[in-house]
Amino acid sequence: MKNNTPVKSFISRELSYIALRTTGLLLAVLALGHFLITHITNDVAETDSNFVIHRWSSTIWVVWDVLLLTSALIHAFAGLAVVVHDYSKNPKSRVRTLRLLSIFVMFLLITGLMVMAVSLYRIYGTGA
Amino acid sequence: MTTIQICFLLLLSLSFIIILGFIYKVWKVALFADGGPKPSISRLAKLGRLPAERAEISRWAAYLHRVSGFAIFAFLSLHIIDVSTFAFSHSAFDELHKIYATWPMRLFECGLLFALVFHALNGIRLIFADLFDVGIRKSNILLRALLVISIVTTLGGSYIILQPVLN
Repeated sequence: MKNNTPVKSFISRELSYIALRTTGLLLAVLALGHFLITHITNDVAETDSNFVIHRWSSTIWVVWDVLLLTSALIHAFAGLAVVVHDYSKNPKSRVRTLRLLSIFVMFLLITGLMVMAVSLYRIYGTGA
Repeated sequence: MTTIQICFLLLLSLSFIIILGFIYKVWKVALFADGGPKPSISRLAKLGRLPAERAEISRWAAYLHRVSGFAIFAFLSLHIIDVSTFAFSHSAFDELHKIYATWPMRLFECGLLFALVFHALNGIRLIFADLFDVGIRKSNILLRALLVISIVTTLGGSYIILQPVLN
C-alpha cells in the first residue's frame, strides 16, 4: 500500500492469482461441505473417532480431505502473500515474512498429510 | 479437564490473540488510508459513514474478507494440530473432541460458519466481477445480496448447531 517496490518472489504473480482463485472455488465446495457434514447434518458431539473411521472407509472422503487440506493451505499462503505485500513496508522484511510463512504452511501440510497416512495405516494397513 | 484439553484451550486463546492483533493491523492501515495514522472522532466517523455513496460497503467487504480469511487460517492451523492426535491415540482424540461440543465452542463454530459462508460467497463475487466486468454498481448489489444470504445461513446454521444446548 505504501511501498510498491516489486519484490522478486519464488512464484509469479500470475500463478499466484490463478492459484488463489481456483483453490478458492474448490474450497467453496470442499470447506463448506466439510462444515456441513461435521456440524449441520451430524451433531458435532457425534463426530468422534468412530465417525472419522467410518468416513475414511470410503475413498471419496479420503480424497476429499486430502484435497481440502492441500487447497486450503495453498489458498491461505497465496492470500497471506497478498496481505504481506499490502502491509509490509520494506522489501527485505516482506521476503523474510513470506519465507517464515511458507515454512509454517509447509509444516502444516506435511503434518496433515502424515497424520492422514499414519491414521489410515493404523486403521486399515494391518491387514484387518 | 485433562492436560490435552488445557493445551487445546491455550492454543485456541493464542489464536484469538493473533486474530485480534491482525484486526488491529487492518484497522490501523485503514485509518492511515483514510487520512492519518492516529484515530480521532472525525476519522472514526469517516470510517463508519453510511454505505449509501462512494461504494463504502465494498471497502468494508474487503476488510471483512481479509479478517475472516485470516481467522479461518488461524483456526485451520489449530485444527490440523488438534486432529493430529488421531494418529497417536483415538481415545486422546475423543477426549479433545469433547471440547467441540461445549457451548462456548459451539458459539465459536457459529462465528466460523459466518466467516466461511461470507468468505466463500464474497470470493465468488470477486471472481465474477473480474471475469465478467460487472462494474461497481452491480457488484454492490451482489454484495448486499450475499450479505443477506450469509446472515440468514448463519442464523439457520446456528439454530441447528446450538440445538443440543438450547434444549
